[in-house]
This record gives sequence, structure tokens and C-alpha cells, in this order.
Amino acid sequence: MIIRILESFNDSPMMLYILIVAIACIGGGIPPMLERRRRREIENQLPGFLEALSDSVGAGRGLQEAMMEQAESSPGLLTTILKETLREAHSSSFEAMLASFAAKTRSTQVQRVMVLIDTALEQDAPLQPILSDLSRDYERLNDLMNLREVELQGRGILIILFVSIGLPVLIAFIVGLFAPASKGYQITEFNSTFALFFAVASVIGVGVTGRMLGRLKDMLWWLPLWMVLSMALYLGAVKAVGG
Amino acid sequence: MRSLQEKRELLYVIRTLDVLISSGVGLEAALHTIGKGGYGVISTDFQNMMERLTSGKTRGLSDELKSLQKKAESKGYQRLLNTLYTNVTQNTDLVDTLKKQGARMEEERTEEVEKYIETLGGVPESLLSIGMIGPIILSIVGLVPQIMSGDLGAFMSLPEASTMNLVVNVGLVGTLLAMFFIGLKAHTKDPGL
Repeated sequence: MIIRILESFNDSPMMLYILIVAIACIGGGIPPMLERRRRREIENQLPGFLEALSDSVGAGRGLQEAMMEQAESSPGLLTTILKETLREAHSSSFEAMLASFAAKTRSTQVQRVMVLIDTALEQDAPLQPILSDLSRDYERLNDLMNLREVELQGRGILIILFVSIGLPVLIAFIVGLFAPASKGYQITEFNSTFALFFAVASVIGVGVTGRMLGRLKDMLWWLPLWMVLSMALYLGAVKAVGG
Repeated sequence: MRSLQEKRELLYVIRTLDVLISSGVGLEAALHTIGKGGYGVISTDFQNMMERLTSGKTRGLSDELKSLQKKAESKGYQRLLNTLYTNVTQNTDLVDTLKKQGARMEEERTEEVEKYIETLGGVPESLLSIGMIGPIILSIVGLVPQIMSGDLGAFMSLPEASTMNLVVNVGLVGTLLAMFFIGLKAHTKDPGL
């Protein structure tokens, strides 16, 4: 059945080429999505973690001791990674442990915070106000990032759905009803022009959505899939309606 | 592009300078620390500046800061460089000014994100209006030579099919360009979070 469906698109080789690229790109598109989810989970926990550290340091604990306590008592991915790093860092220095922890999180926010804490430790700066300021800074930053995500995600999905799915199906119905191939209308060239148009329109739609959400690079992996989906929907619907 | 990169790093640079200078590190050493990396384009600027200072190819830190101000594209970065320049020439309270600048930068960032969300509110509607009306009209135009062929076409004195195809192709390219330029707003107005 799959072969039969694919064979019905034999007169659109471009679509079949893009389909192969799209299947290959799915493998590249899933890891950034999972990684992003993991990173955002860590980053959303960072302000709370810093605030807890600030309180512990303010109560007279050392930073290392405060971190160990947090690793034991707080739930979440950030503290799990910290616990793991502390367990592995028996014989290394505290600075090396901070660097290793930052690298393991793979988050720019955590890396920046760890660099700043390391600098503060080197310079003997008062840690409590620094940690407290950092906590507030990153809380505001994450709030803004989450706000952007929540507000713009719906609009992005709307653009992709309409441009890549709604529009090709709508035009295919118009073409299939007014000029059905079964009645001898010569629309092969017309169809290939429009299929190409929908592929490029999908590129623009997905690109704009990716840029709106601030993750264009991650979305690029899904571009061929949306291109091929819009082309297949158009060509398939024209065939289904017009014969 | 550079302006966006500057905006993205600036707040972190201000916070780091604040920590370093409040804990007693001198301004040149603090700039050297930033120049070691981690702050994108600002690190590169500071690194180049420190290299020129140590090689003796410049008249001093104040001149370097002044010339870097001309290179800076974002207002916030220009303000920071001006603050550093004023501190070098007039010995101002740098820590206090950095704290105020940090707070101001945060307020500006929040406002910019809110403005960005508001600005992009109309993008889907515009994009979909152009992206849907254009192809619907053009598909009908493209089908006219097929539907109105023969006597009806001659009676209506329709242009040649090749002319109609050209109109459709140009129209589709125009639609794509219009969609692209509407969508470009998402890039140009990015607050750089």
C-alpha cells in the first residue's frame, strides 16, 4: 500500500526527494527537542536553587556545604545532576566540581552562574547578596522566556497549520472541483508550480514560527517534513477530488 | 546582528563587572576577566582592547573606551562604555552606577519582550491573509485558460495561456516575498533573550 501511494506521486520527483531528506532529518530533529526540554527544566529550577543557596550561606554555611545540602534535600533534575557531580568529585577541587557541574547541565544560564560564583569565590566577595541577586535576575529572565513561549506558541502553530495544511487542501479542492484531471484538464504543470509554492510557503511559515519562538535552528530539522507534507496534501487532495 | 549579540550579553557583563569591582578587583583586571571569554562579542571587544593596551599601541584605557563606544551598536552597551570612561576620567562610583544600569537594563528587556509579543500579535493574521488570498486568486487565474477554452475564451478575448501562466508565477513569487517580509518582523524586532 505504501509503495502504491508513493507510486502515485511518480510525476513529482521533487516531492519524493524531499521526502527522503525529511525522513533523514527526523533523526536530527528529535534530539534538540528533548535537549531543549531538559535544559528548560534545569533553567526553571535555577532561581529557586540559587535562593536556597543564598539563604544557607546567609545562615552561616559554606557554599560547598550549602550545595551538598541542596543536592540532598531538593527534588528536580538540577539537584540530581549536582548530587551526581558531588559524588564523582571526591578528590577534585571545589572549583573543578563547579566547572564539571556547569558542563553537565549543558545550560548557558547555569554555566554563567557557576563562572560568576567561581569569580566571587576567587575574589572573596560576599556570596549571599550575589546569590540572591542572581536568583532574582534568572527568575525574571526565565519568566520572560516562558511568557514568550506561552504567548507565541499558539500563533506559531496557527501559522504552520494554515500555511502547510489548510492552504494546500483548500487550493486542491478548488483545482479538483473546477478542473478535474478525470475530465481531460491538463493541470500537470499547474500542479507542480503550486506544489513548489506550498513547499516554499511552508519554509517561510516554519521559519517565522521558529524565529518567533527563538529556536529557528531546532525547527530547521523539521522543515523538509513540513515541505513534503504540504506538497503531498496538495497533490494527494487534487488526485482525490479531481481523479 | 551585532546589536542583538551585544544586547544578549550586556546584562551578564554588567553583573560580572559589579561582582568583580565590588569585591575589590581593579577596572583593568575586571575588563581582562570579561575579555577571557564567555560573553560573546563583548568578550572579543574587551580582549582586543586589552591586547592593544598591553602592547602599548594605544594612548590609554580612556581612549580605547572612547573608540569602542563608536563601534558599539546597542544603546545599553554604549551607556556601559560611557560609564566606564567616566569612571576612568573622573573617578565616579562605578559599583553604584553598574547596579543602576543593571536594573535599568532588566526593565528595558522586560519592556522589549512585551513589545515584541505585542508586535508579533498581528503577524499571523497578515501572513495568513496574504498567504491565503494570493494563492486562491492565482489558482483561479491559472485555471481560467483551461475552464474558458474554445469559443467562450475567444468571446471573452482572454490572453494567451502562457501569459496567464506568467502572471500566476509572478504572483506566486510576489506572495512568497510578501510573506517573507511580513515574517521578517519576527527577526528584526527580536529582543535577544
